[in-house]
Amino acid sequence: MKNFLVYMTKILIVIFLVAMILDCIYTAVFLQSKNRGKIETVFNSKAQKLDVLILGTSRAHNHFVAQMFEDRGLKTFNYGISGGHLFETSLLLKLMIERKYTIKNIILEADLSLASDKESEGITAKFLPYIHNSAIIKEHFKSDANFNKFYYIPFYRYIKYDSKIGFREVFYAAVHKKTNVLDNLGYYPLIKHKNGNMKNNIINLNPLPHNKYYQEIKNICKANNINLIAVMTPMCENVVGMNYFEKVKKVYPEIHNYENVVVENKYFSSCGHMNDTGARMFTARILKDFFKK
Amino acid sequence: MFFNSLAFAIFLPIVFFLYWFVFNKNKSTQNVLLIVASYYFYSCWDWRFLFLLVFSTFLDYYTGIQIEKGKSEKRRKFWFWLSIIVNLGFLGIFKYYNFFAGSFSELLNSAGIKVSPLLLDVILPVGISFYTFHGLSYVIDIYLKRIKAEYNFIDYSLFVSYFPLLVAGPIERATHLLPQLKVKREFDFEKAKEGIYQIIWGLVKKVVIADTCATYANAIFDHYPSMNSFSLILGAIYFAFQIYGDFSGYSDIALGVSKLFGLDLLRNFNYPYFSRDIAEFWRRWHISLSSWFRDYLYIPLGGSKGGIWIKIRNTFIIFLVSGFWHGANWTYIAWGFINALYFLPLLLSNSNRNNMDDIQLKFDFSSVKVIISIVFTFALTCIAWVFFRAKTITDAVLYLKQIISNREFKIEYLANDRSNYELIVMIALFTLVEWNIRNKIEPISGKRTTLKLALAIAAIMAFGTFSDYKEFIYFQF
Repeated sequence: MKNFLVYMTKILIVIFLVAMILDCIYTAVFLQSKNRGKIETVFNSKAQKLDVLILGTSRAHNHFVAQMFEDRGLKTFNYGISGGHLFETSLLLKLMIERKYTIKNIILEADLSLASDKESEGITAKFLPYIHNSAIIKEHFKSDANFNKFYYIPFYRYIKYDSKIGFREVFYAAVHKKTNVLDNLGYYPLIKHKNGNMKNNIINLNPLPHNKYYQEIKNICKANNINLIAVMTPMCENVVGMNYFEKVKKVYPEIHNYENVVVENKYFSSCGHMNDTGARMFTARILKDFFKK
Repeated sequence: MFFNSLAFAIFLPIVFFLYWFVFNKNKSTQNVLLIVASYYFYSCWDWRFLFLLVFSTFLDYYTGIQIEKGKSEKRRKFWFWLSIIVNLGFLGIFKYYNFFAGSFSELLNSAGIKVSPLLLDVILPVGISFYTFHGLSYVIDIYLKRIKAEYNFIDYSLFVSYFPLLVAGPIERATHLLPQLKVKREFDFEKAKEGIYQIIWGLVKKVVIADTCATYANAIFDHYPSMNSFSLILGAIYFAFQIYGDFSGYSDIALGVSKLFGLDLLRNFNYPYFSRDIAEFWRRWHISLSSWFRDYLYIPLGGSKGGIWIKIRNTFIIFLVSGFWHGANWTYIAWGFINALYFLPLLLSNSNRNNMDDIQLKFDFSSVKVIISIVFTFALTCIAWVFFRAKTITDAVLYLKQIISNREFKIEYLANDRSNYELIVMIALFTLVEWNIRNKIEPISGKRTTLKLALAIAAIMAFGTFSDYKEFIYFQF
């Protein structure tokens, strides 16, 4: 039995060592990844100057045509992240500030995401490889229930989110396989889907009265003299509970309601996402209203 | 509580510690501890099913003794049939009632008689098919005077409810497991080491092979009408490896865990995808179930003795029942039927026992023939698996039809945001490893153990699928 207990201890040591080695390898790969996604790109970037920075969820990613800003002489990049929440948006902005980005204006898509201050599992995972390399990321995740596991158990974060930051992603990052997320200055144009879901029910959705991460973004902008333009973006006609946007306006009067700027279904790919034509109409309106362009 | 869960990783060391350090006075204390642990393990699914397990245990224990004590044949027969009817009755109610009621009403509806079936709102108790077959083999063996009845209730209870085999087998025989439970187990370092290796290799099969293949197979099977031939062929192969990795991985973990307690369980898999014909495949796949049906159904029906029609009848009975054992769905019956069709020519030409020897490959023509036979048998197996995996027989037929009619062999992007071909290298590597260890139980033991152990652990961590967690497929049976 003594031999067996010694043997099991050896196995546990092997498990620990393997976890440590894999953790180091995976983290090293992510530390040099630049063309896979917006989070890796920002983390591994240097100081930049931007006239307009676009932040938000897929409703920013698919709605703001960054090239239209560039065409009018505004250096712009769309950092909207599909599937992201304000938790990730705020962290991404903090990383940019840490990297000494000089930003004049931020357009923040803040509407449906105001209903939650939880993290988005799929997106939050993309920050975790850097948890030991960034005090900001470490601090941001401190309130997470799994923080101790992520931080202290080697390789745990890669196992927990294997579909996002597991072997497949590491392999593609190592061989520098490009994704299309960074094309078109971060804007992803959608096409009109024949079978796109043109219904949505947000009747039970309510904006949080004090969304922690929205407040954080506001504070960062204030502290860094950034002009924050928070906007609500359009949804299709068949939405049940459209008064959500009025509720947002009531709680956060500074957020501009552009929900009804584009209405007709022909400008939408799905109910919550405009197609390229709709996005261009919407962007033109934003440029005219806020940049007089 | 699944073998690949954190809960089990905590449960197992606690039971191991108590077993060898606290309850190791004699075999009775060891057995009592294992029963308590097994009942706790089982109750983690649903404690209400414990009553069914205890009742089933008591029924077979009592009827076993009554059969042995029975002075007249009539009395023995009474107790024997009582056990059979109650055991199969439970299985019938929980597993098959809704299927029969639904199918019967569909039949009547198609004949123009409108009826709505009276369906039961019950969940299938985990492992019921396995422990029922345990009990049945015990009672049948006593009735046929192959074994003596067990008078020690604790020993018998452990035989039925021993947690490593409780929910998905292997289906043990009283002649094999009970004698081991009658003696005090002494700790054997080498056996425990073997057990650990087998657990780790089982985990590789489950989380690396089965669960990864599952994400691709599901993406293909769930969208088969829009998939090209290449994806559909790969889908069938991925499912073949999914079910193999899942079930043989489970069996490896069960055998390995049991070795930690000094108990050997029956081997359930012997590299079935290296079979040279379907008969050999069935000698290597789910061995404990195949041999159960052989001993308690096929041979009593006359086996391969008798005329040609008897042989055909018995072959179809055993394969159809085997298919139906897996689940109350026509797809499983179709799967059994197809395997019977595969098997029949071998039986009728007396070549079903041709490939009994070990597989040897050399640089000669006969080896080419062996490789072709293996590939051909695997292809047949994959076709049958399509029926096993599909939701309906129509889906399975359309799936196969789409393979033939589409004729596109291009890389395709799947619903799981992955390309169809991505697992080919992993499957090829796994097959190569299995080929090299086909005369062993697992690849870790032998030379350079520490290195192989580290590689297996690294494979589990790096290549395993954890976020898209999958239960063991055979738990539902």
